[in-house]
Amino acid sequence: VKILLADDEAPARARLRSLLGEIGGNEIAGEAANGREALELADRLKPDIVLLDIRMPGIDGLEAATHLAGYEKPPAVIFTTAYGDYALEAFEAHAMDYLLKPIRRQRLEEALAKARRLNRAQLGAVRQAPPGEAARTHICARSRGQLVLIPVNEIAYFRADHKYVTVRHLRGEVLIEEPLKDLAEEFAGRFLRIHRNTLIAVSFLAGLAKTAEDVYVVSLRGVEERPEVSRRHLFELKELLKRYG
Amino acid sequence: MRNRAGRITRQYIKFPRPRAVRPQRSGGAEVFFRHADKWPTPVQGPRGRATGQRQGQTIMKSSTIALPRAARDDAGGFLPDFCNIRIVFVIVVTAELLAFILALTAPGNTAERWSRLGLLSLFIQWVSLSCAGCLCLARARLNRLPSPFAGAAAFLIILLMAGVAVEFAVLIAGGTGLESFLPPGRHDEFLRTSLAIAAIVGAVVLRYFYVQRQTRRTIEAEARARFQALQARIRPHFMFNSMNTIASLTRTNPALAEEVVEDLAELFRISLADAGNLTTLGAELDLIRRYLKIETLRMGERLRIVEETATLPLDARIPALLVQPLVENAVYHGIEPLAEGGTIRIEGHCGDGMITLCVTNPLALAPPRRRSGNHMALANIRERLQLHYGRHGRIEAGPRDGAFRVCLTFPHQREAA
Repeated sequence: VKILLADDEAPARARLRSLLGEIGGNEIAGEAANGREALELADRLKPDIVLLDIRMPGIDGLEAATHLAGYEKPPAVIFTTAYGDYALEAFEAHAMDYLLKPIRRQRLEEALAKARRLNRAQLGAVRQAPPGEAARTHICARSRGQLVLIPVNEIAYFRADHKYVTVRHLRGEVLIEEPLKDLAEEFAGRFLRIHRNTLIAVSFLAGLAKTAEDVYVVSLRGVEERPEVSRRHLFELKELLKRYG
Repeated sequence: MRNRAGRITRQYIKFPRPRAVRPQRSGGAEVFFRHADKWPTPVQGPRGRATGQRQGQTIMKSSTIALPRAARDDAGGFLPDFCNIRIVFVIVVTAELLAFILALTAPGNTAERWSRLGLLSLFIQWVSLSCAGCLCLARARLNRLPSPFAGAAAFLIILLMAGVAVEFAVLIAGGTGLESFLPPGRHDEFLRTSLAIAAIVGAVVLRYFYVQRQTRRTIEAEARARFQALQARIRPHFMFNSMNTIASLTRTNPALAEEVVEDLAELFRISLADAGNLTTLGAELDLIRRYLKIETLRMGERLRIVEETATLPLDARIPALLVQPLVENAVYHGIEPLAEGGTIRIEGHCGDGMITLCVTNPLALAPPRRRSGNHMALANIRERLQLHYGRHGRIEAGPRDGAFRVCLTFPHQREAA
């Protein structure tokens, strides 16, 4: 069984390593020191089980688990945490189990056995699980088979186009498969709908203009494209511009 | 409940603060009685005098029998120290007031009343001061008794002194031409009247001391409860992570594991000790270094520390765990959310009798979810500063030059002489 360890503390990883060595029958595929590394390694190494610390810098364990659940072959997630506060939330994010540090060998064995029993189909069901109530800090996407993590505060707009949503960010654009409606709900307040198919980042908003064809468009900081504003959403946008001067 | 406690605490603060006291090990409300020993008296200096005056005003407002807090009450009984100059003064004033009342109610013209006042004053001061003298001598014994017995004994002493004074007065009056005020035939009546007045006034005064002691105890108990509620606690998060570090080190580096256990024990010993304990600045800085050593083991190179505290007076007395929570906050909110880590700066300087200590940590730009409690820790330290230093203690916190900085300013208190 391929296992990925993710913990920002080296002694914690060392302890897990030695416990797993004692238990045997496992292969430690890799070790990550934060959520981003964990997602990248999980994408590359395709582990069966991820032992995920909840408190990690950048992308924390809970958010990492949400992204992992969206993977093509989602690994089983076992949370590890030093303090019991997160236990309930951890189950909401559909972890297989959670372990309290310092972890007992017996508990770790049990959790691993439980994770092994679940087959891929069962893990796939996790994907349909609703995302947690907290908004993500990153959007997880795939570009030419590579995992890409885009910080939400670098995204200028989302535009829905047939089956996909284009995520335009400061360094380019990627396609994701999430419905625009879900994104609008998750990032309510930070992103504004200006068209049936477009959400723009409020913090990127630079101005409103009218083209020769009598169509309103918005200009956004750092990107050249000027998304179209539909008549239905024009009023709301004007109000917002007025409020921010 | 909180409101009530808050109000009472403020009332407590209004009293002069202990300037520097040794940490007390004894339990119960006694701790504060001992602090009372070191409350500044009116002759102790400009600050002490000012507070003494303010206190005097408060008391005149609150009671007809003006009585400052007993200076020494360590025995636990309710009788104050009657040798204390303030108590003596209060007794003299009270006795004089009684003399005025008696002179005013006596028949006769103004001139007669004045001369009567003179004699009454002499007599009443005599009785009250001899009572004070006896009670001063007997106090140590009396305060060992249960309160009702001590009260009864003190009451008997007052009656006895009044009786003795009457007999002496009669004896003296016989040969000095004062028969007009004290006719020989009215000896019995004089004795009865004197004893009755002594009984009434004595009972009222003793009752007053008793009630005052009870009130003070309540205030102290509530202040103590408040101290306890404010006691700085080490985050459970830190505790469990440290345990995990130890569990890991036990295999790889038992010697280091041992050190961590020792450091952790030190931290918890202080965290679990009596609330309101005092320590020295040097010991607190030492504790912070132990704490940071454990955190460095956990976080490795992500945690970098710069300490500039060489000029601080290490002997300054401060409440225990005044600074450590700030450093813990800096690690929790400033370093842990950053994948690349950052530097914590601990800087201190001293001047004009004030010590300033600043803790700076990097500002995590997008604070991840589920991190809170910073303001609680700051509010807690602010309140403890105020409880200990009054308005002389300050805490300022805020972003500065892209970092988060908390500064404590408080007076340099040396060890009590």
